[in-house]
Amino acid sequence: MKLLIVDDSALIRSRIARILCDKRMNDVQLLGMARNGKEAITLFTEHEPELVTMDITMPEMDGVECTEKMIEINPDCNILVVSALSDKATALKALKKGARGFLYKPFSDEDLITAFLELTSP
Amino acid sequence: MSAINEKDILIFVEAVSNFFFQITQEKVEIKTAYLLEDDVPSATFDLTSYITLSGGFTGRIYFSAPHSMLTHLLLVMGEQNRSDERLLDAAGEIANTISGNARKHFGETMEISVPTSQTTKSNWLKTVVSPRSYVILVKWKHYRASVVVDIQRAEQK
Repeated sequence: MKLLIVDDSALIRSRIARILCDKRMNDVQLLGMARNGKEAITLFTEHEPELVTMDITMPEMDGVECTEKMIEINPDCNILVVSALSDKATALKALKKGARGFLYKPFSDEDLITAFLELTSP
Repeated sequence: MSAINEKDILIFVEAVSNFFFQITQEKVEIKTAYLLEDDVPSATFDLTSYITLSGGFTGRIYFSAPHSMLTHLLLVMGEQNRSDERLLDAAGEIANTISGNARKHFGETMEISVPTSQTTKSNWLKTVVSPRSYVILVKWKHYRASVVVDIQRAEQK
C-alpha cells in the first residue's frame, strides 16, 4: 500500500513513517512526506497514494481543504486524519469532506496501527 | 473580553498530563498558579513554543522546556534526529497538541495557529504575558517544564 504523510511537524512525519513502515507492516511503501496542504496536493497528483495520513492545522493549506481536493482527484483514496483538534465539529468536517478515519493526537504506536488496519482492512 | 477560570485551567492540566502519559506511559507531577502573582520560580526554559488563538478567544498558550527534557522525550519516542531544529519542532508539537485537545472543552470557535518556536532566556515569559496568566508547572522524571495559559474569551457580537 502506497503511503503519503502530511504534517507540518517533522517529528510527527518521522514518527508516523517509522511506525507504519516498520517491517511488521510489510505492505506499506512510503511515497513521500509533505509539510502543508499545497505540497501534499503536488505529491498526491504525482504519486497517486492509496493511503494518506493528514494533519489539520498546517500553514499554506489546512488538512480539511487538502482532504477535499484529494477526494476530488481520487475518491477512492483512504485518508486518515491525525490531529490534536479534539472537538467533534472538526472531525465531522473532515469526514464530510471524504476522510475515512480520525485519530487524535497524542497517539501511541498501537493507536496508529489499529487506525491504519481499520481503514485498510477489506 | 472575559477571563477564563480555574475550572477552564483543569482542561489544560488534563491535556498536559495526557500528553506525557500517552508518550512516556508515566504520570507527571503538576502544580498550577498565577505566573506573575504567586511566588513562581522561572517558568521559562531553553525552548519555548506558543500557539496564538483567534475566533472566540484571544491570547496565547505557551509550552517551555529545557533541551534535556525534550531530548529525553525524543529518545522515548524513538526519534533518531535530536538536533536543535527537531527539539524546537517537538516543543511546537506539544504546544499544538495541548491547545488542540483543549478544543474538546472550548469548542471549534477556539481557533488555533500553527506553533511559533524559539530559544528563550530566563524570565522571558514573565515579560510577555498578561498579569492574570496561569502557569502549569510540569515535572517529569527530574525535568521541569511549563505550560502558560494567557487567554481570554473574546466579546460576543
